[in-house]
Amino acid sequence: MKMPLTFMLNNQQTTLEVDARQTLLEVLRNQGGMTSVHRSCEEGECGACTVLLNDEPVNACLVLAASVQGASVLTSEGLVKNGKPHPLMKAFTDELGIQCGFCTPGMLMNAYALINRAGDNLLTDQVIRKTLEGNLCRCTGYVNIIKSVHTAQKAKLAGEWW
Amino acid sequence: MKKREERLILGKGQYADDLAFFNMAHLVFVGSPHAHARIVSIDTKKALALPGVITVITGKEVAAHTRPLPVQANFTSKGWTWRLADVYAIPADKVRWHGEPVAAVVAEDEETARRAADLVEVAYEALPLAGDLRTALSPGAPKVYDDWEDNKQVHLVFDFGDPEKAFAMADQVLQVTNREGRVTGVPIEPRGCVGLYDTKNDTLEMWGSFQTPFLSRHNIAATLGVPEAKVKINAVDIGGAFGLKIHAWKENVVALASKLSGRPVKWMEPHRDFMATGPHQRDVFWDGTIAFKNDGTLLGLKATVFHDLGVESTNKGIAALSIFPACSSPTNMYKWVGMHVEGIGTVTNKSFYCAYRGYGKDKGIKFIEAAINQVAKKLHMTPEAIRMKNFIQPDEFPYHQINNYVLDSGDYPAVLNKAMEMADLDFFRKRKKELAGQGRYLGIGLVTAIEPAGVAVPNCQMGGITEARVLITPDGSVEVHSDRTEIGQGAEISHATIVADILGMDMAHIHVKRVTSDFIGQGPLSSRGAVYPASAVAKAAKLLRKKVVQCAGSLMKIPADQVVLEKGYIYPVNAPEKKISYAQFADKMFFFPGPRGLDPEILKAHDHLLDVTTTWYSPTTPESGSSYTSFCVSADIAVVEVDIDTGVTQIVKYVHVHDAGTIINAQVVDGQIQGGIVQGIGEALYEGLNYDENGQLMNTSFSNYLIPTSVEAPDIEIAHLETPSPFSETGSKGMGEAPIIGSKAVILDAIEDALSDFGIRVNDAPATPEKVRKWIRQASGQNQ
Amino acid sequence: MPDNSAGNSAIENSVMRNFIGSRAMPDLVYHSPKEISDLLSMVDAHGTSARVVAGCTDFIPSVRTGRWSFDQELNLIDISKLPVLNQIEKTDDVLKIGASVSLTRILESPEVKVHCPVLAQAVEQMASLQVRNTATMGGNICMASPAADTVPPLLVSDAWVIIQDAQGEHKVLLTDFFTGPGRSVLTSGQVLTHICIPVKKANEAAWFQKIGTRTAVIISVVSAAVRVTISNGVCDTARIALGSVAPTPVRVAEAEQFLEGKPLDDQVIAECARMAAQAISPISDLRSSKEYRKDVARTLVKRSILACREALK
Repeated sequence: MKMPLTFMLNNQQTTLEVDARQTLLEVLRNQGGMTSVHRSCEEGECGACTVLLNDEPVNACLVLAASVQGASVLTSEGLVKNGKPHPLMKAFTDELGIQCGFCTPGMLMNAYALINRAGDNLLTDQVIRKTLEGNLCRCTGYVNIIKSVHTAQKAKLAGEWW
Repeated sequence: MKKREERLILGKGQYADDLAFFNMAHLVFVGSPHAHARIVSIDTKKALALPGVITVITGKEVAAHTRPLPVQANFTSKGWTWRLADVYAIPADKVRWHGEPVAAVVAEDEETARRAADLVEVAYEALPLAGDLRTALSPGAPKVYDDWEDNKQVHLVFDFGDPEKAFAMADQVLQVTNREGRVTGVPIEPRGCVGLYDTKNDTLEMWGSFQTPFLSRHNIAATLGVPEAKVKINAVDIGGAFGLKIHAWKENVVALASKLSGRPVKWMEPHRDFMATGPHQRDVFWDGTIAFKNDGTLLGLKATVFHDLGVESTNKGIAALSIFPACSSPTNMYKWVGMHVEGIGTVTNKSFYCAYRGYGKDKGIKFIEAAINQVAKKLHMTPEAIRMKNFIQPDEFPYHQINNYVLDSGDYPAVLNKAMEMADLDFFRKRKKELAGQGRYLGIGLVTAIEPAGVAVPNCQMGGITEARVLITPDGSVEVHSDRTEIGQGAEISHATIVADILGMDMAHIHVKRVTSDFIGQGPLSSRGAVYPASAVAKAAKLLRKKVVQCAGSLMKIPADQVVLEKGYIYPVNAPEKKISYAQFADKMFFFPGPRGLDPEILKAHDHLLDVTTTWYSPTTPESGSSYTSFCVSADIAVVEVDIDTGVTQIVKYVHVHDAGTIINAQVVDGQIQGGIVQGIGEALYEGLNYDENGQLMNTSFSNYLIPTSVEAPDIEIAHLETPSPFSETGSKGMGEAPIIGSKAVILDAIEDALSDFGIRVNDAPATPEKVRKWIRQASGQNQ
Repeated sequence: MPDNSAGNSAIENSVMRNFIGSRAMPDLVYHSPKEISDLLSMVDAHGTSARVVAGCTDFIPSVRTGRWSFDQELNLIDISKLPVLNQIEKTDDVLKIGASVSLTRILESPEVKVHCPVLAQAVEQMASLQVRNTATMGGNICMASPAADTVPPLLVSDAWVIIQDAQGEHKVLLTDFFTGPGRSVLTSGQVLTHICIPVKKANEAAWFQKIGTRTAVIISVVSAAVRVTISNGVCDTARIALGSVAPTPVRVAEAEQFLEGKPLDDQVIAECARMAAQAISPISDLRSSKEYRKDVARTLVKRSILACREALK
């Protein structure tokens, strides 16, 4: 069943022609051009396709595109402002929370929502670890990812954030 | 300056799945549900009838249009058992493992290809299984390859030093056994590529997650029967590899599909395929006897290591080749009198065996470390005391080990001492005793290792020779080419750092180029990156620097040794104000070189061409036969607590001290260590590929092949020592695999220590909660 | 949360379909009713070609792995946009949770924290944040997996579900809901709309524990929930439920009865835990052997009762 899908994609109202059997992952990558949303397990186990759906992280591979009608979807492309990396992105590069880069966009989106939710409360390692449990990384051992999230939160508290 | 990381973080990665070509078709493999069966017939009519399906390729087409996968390592000449089979990427006669491809569907889009894959009808006649090593080796076992005498693929026998003398000198001997379960590397990104066969020129070009483009070109060209010169392989951004993306086999079918359909064809492997039909590793059983003196002096080893290789590798002979380092590496970092080690490799109806971080050299080290800790216990020595007694000393390098390895450099006692200091060993040993009275079980593990790195093996595709090119372009920027693909291990930033330092340039102007098959070398495998490609690049940059200095000296009318290269500028040492930028310099060299600018002798020798291509090969391998050039050093100490009622292990503290020679980029080295340690922890505690009695792989997804998440991964304390290697151009040593070796061994050792009251030998990885609990129940005589 | 439990993989093997790494999605007609009446008439009209989904976190993996396949076009009825099924309400002494409330909302709900904390305890240990954000308790129950982690806490809480169809509303005790792995009393034309839980009382404590091969994002090898009420130092009511030890999550009546009327001393607790483990006959599958399941069930029951005792001090 073909259908028009209208939703906010990275803060822009977007209408795409989709098929009801397409997942949000397929639509974002193939019709939406958001190739940072990475496809790996397609079963909601790895977190590489994590995007924010109405500000909450979800696995795009487990969401039917048809169900996001009228919703807002944010991918890591949407964090970039005027070509400049988001402070969260800068933290991941500075702390080398990125190695092969494949899990990174999903990791970024989950961390972005976490830091936003945390407000002024300083995040603990334990909370970061628990929140990122659904974003598998095989390269970093997570150490520098956790460091990156701390660094990013500091940037946010210093007012460098969008 | 992290060019690549900044690009990737902005979402500008170009991974295999992001490749899109005009008129591109999509390929999906159809796998066998049987582990061992004769293919009776394949009916593709229904699949072909589905709108959008272009073609279906079966074993018949593959046999008609390609050759068997080429032999990559063959050691028959030594008189050992070394069997090889004719293997195609898709078999025509019978399937030998669960998931083995029997057909490939090519369609306009991937979803259509996936649908059609369900419509390919294959009739099988099930065959009895050689499902595990014991069955496969038993007399009259079902044969995986009908034309082989039996299922034994490899039997290697090594004598290092004088094993008989070692045992004659011994006060005591101790038998030790160790088993490592079957695992896989599972980078988060599976394999994928696009093949484009140009029928006008009869050339093939491929883009994808190729860890070693040069080898892939050789093997794909040979399989398709196309001259190598007409094939080009391009690596794109790779989402992790760890050895699992070295060898091309399904990629041959993608190339063939492009050739047959005349269209670009893309294949992106589902992760489930990657586990079921991807490279597996470990799955070894060691049975050995270690000889030693009552004062703790180690003397010798007699051991056999059995490998369950799965089917004959799709990278023929390379799986068998991994038995070499398994047999050689037990010498680790100690002095020995002699060893006799036999390596047996058996084929079974499981997916094939190939490289994964460690490859084989990890196995011998893990075994000997476990054995030495047993010896220490028997002699009532601490694990550190027995090591200190047997370490090769700092003044003994280069040290010719009994197995021909030429150990390059290091201070083994210093590495261990540093680790003990950081781990606060005395505190935790006391704490263990305190908690013992409260029904809590703390354990301390201690392991030391060297990592043989930078491989060169004669008589196979891991030959070693490596090429690099560094050139300055007319606008003063620098191109760096080598075989070292970026798989997340920091290849680009390391190369850029090396070249920037040598040329006195800002890293912003150094462009490390995507790796293609144009540059010779085996890429980043066996921790070669910091040894071979880095040395080749450093050598090329040094030669280029010589040219720059010579030309600049001539231009500035000063002796070459008075030319300074710094921060992107070139100037006379006594007159910094006369500086010219690299751009100005390069412009002169390319477009206005003379005759009044440069010395005519330079022009005659064309030394003003700012382009150097060179090669590098180990200085120690040719004479010693040492397959490895550098040996980084590490010590791991872990403290764990075991919940004896559930069998669950918690990591309380983890310390890793490392000496990888000169550090090019500390963040990169730390990242390798942290990642490797967590992979090793996964192997020690959770990860296992288990086949059921029908040969079905039960762990085909992240929900049941359990790699550590951020919750299980511990905090890791790291310290570095830096003893440069005298044998690499930069003083660096390969280090990518050391962390996975020590971490697996140390966690198992720590669990054993935690369970010391029960007298349990923890010698069967992974030590899952269930297994730990089973050991405890057995040890305490409880039965359900 | 996909659950490749042994029962399902056995079905897959016996059919011996092609091994395909990831299967195509079926042709779908997507429905998103806004009213219960629309939902019920859609379910009724489409009969066996209808499938009700909320978070899709089980539906999509089941299709990708080939556990579920459909010969005809599927009418997918998404109940996640129905406001009435997306609420947590407390009326008198019952907590009523809509079938499409996400696990995250259950976890963060102040009502759940106060009135059924054991449920929140279980939900916190389920799947990943991403999955909890879309997966629902209704879905977890309807999938009828023996390993469903929300079920043992609901069983010990004496919860019931509300099922609606063209005939009206039906109340079914959760103990009567499951009929086997992946099977329940739910029939074509019916929708599970609410889960109802009696609220926690003052003299009451409940606890949930699970064991998996890994700590995080893990399907339970065994899960246990316990609820006890105490008066005058003696156990009044005891509820003990176990997951992943039988074709459905189960209560262990003998052990419950043993506990009732007794003081919660160490000896009684140990004996009760032993009886609970004795009462079950789990199977061996890819996640665990039956021996370990029995063994660890005892430890989990024991620890859960101890935790309840501690909470009631």
